[in-house]
Amino acid sequence: MTLRNSNERWGPVSQALHWLIVILVLVMAYLGLTMVDLPTTPHKIFVYMLHKSVGITILVLVVLRLAWRLYAGTPGTLPGIPTWQSRIASLMHAALYVLLFALPISGWVVNSSTGFPLRWFNMLNLPAIAAKSESLHGIATKVHETLFWTLIVLALGHAAAAIYHHLFQRDETLARMLPRNWLRVPSTSGNHPHV
Amino acid sequence: MSRSALFAVALLVAPAPVYAVDYTQASGSSLAFAGSYQGETFTGRFPGFVTHLVFDPAQLGASKLDVTIPLASATTANADYDEQMRGDAFFDAARFAQARYTATQFRALGGNRYAADGTLSLHGVTKPVTLTFTWTSGAQPVLEGKATVNRLDFGIGGGDWADTSLIPNAIAVSAKVVFQPAK
Repeated sequence: MTLRNSNERWGPVSQALHWLIVILVLVMAYLGLTMVDLPTTPHKIFVYMLHKSVGITILVLVVLRLAWRLYAGTPGTLPGIPTWQSRIASLMHAALYVLLFALPISGWVVNSSTGFPLRWFNMLNLPAIAAKSESLHGIATKVHETLFWTLIVLALGHAAAAIYHHLFQRDETLARMLPRNWLRVPSTSGNHPHV
Repeated sequence: MSRSALFAVALLVAPAPVYAVDYTQASGSSLAFAGSYQGETFTGRFPGFVTHLVFDPAQLGASKLDVTIPLASATTANADYDEQMRGDAFFDAARFAQARYTATQFRALGGNRYAADGTLSLHGVTKPVTLTFTWTSGAQPVLEGKATVNRLDFGIGGGDWADTSLIPNAIAVSAKVVFQPAK
């Protein structure tokens, strides 16, 4: 079994990075949406530290994921998918990648503009990437929130499309982002080999 | 011997009377503090502190220091930090408006270096704190000193905030006080 991506399937490295980032984005959404209203105690600082640390982790994982994608290639378009659909899918993927970069970076700017430390999992202090500024803080916070809700909407669209392809188009779109045999593609025609 | 002769002898034998000079704080003085939060250093100032000093290097026994430090104006130049620091988890400046440091015990450490073994009253707690300083004499003498205040000794940031991995116990205090003789 190769670690790289074949023309038919995503390999285990790309799959692991994809689903790990899905989980981390969900964790981030929960932390980000609940932490703001916590009373100011060391617990709040801890939750913020987790949010910032996971965000930086996602940024690193996305860099790795894109590097791996460049190295390991991408599966080809599934047979039977119209060009307009695969174009929209590619645009969607590009937008999701951009957001996965922009969200952590905007969060980093939010943190830097307040002058708060950024201690990755309480282990490593990272530098500020912007000057301490109240006006910048206001703008960066708005940008961060807007990017977040955009990511949620696009990710839901992306997931809905994958599920639609699986349930109604009955193709490999979703199954090939999962380990072999985790998802049986329900076939309508009897001559499909993997039923 | 006549009375006047006795007086003359007394004048010769007795040590020359040296009076420790009474000083007040002049402009150019500053009182600063530094600590660390989440692994990053923060610094702050106590604007409006007032120092009164009676000091003479030759008469340390007659010397005394009295510093009053308002807490509601203490600032780190970070509004979020300041709000928290002045609030009830830390200085509680609404209840304890000022801190006070007084010292009457002075030691010479050699050269122009001295130590004051004084007491700090902060946040309703009074404990000994030693201030080491250099004394630069002149028309406007300058005291430059350092002290370490263990915040937890004074209940500054107790409870959940006592976590020293978040904010270490030791807070460094540094003072530069320019003096002028009191009028």
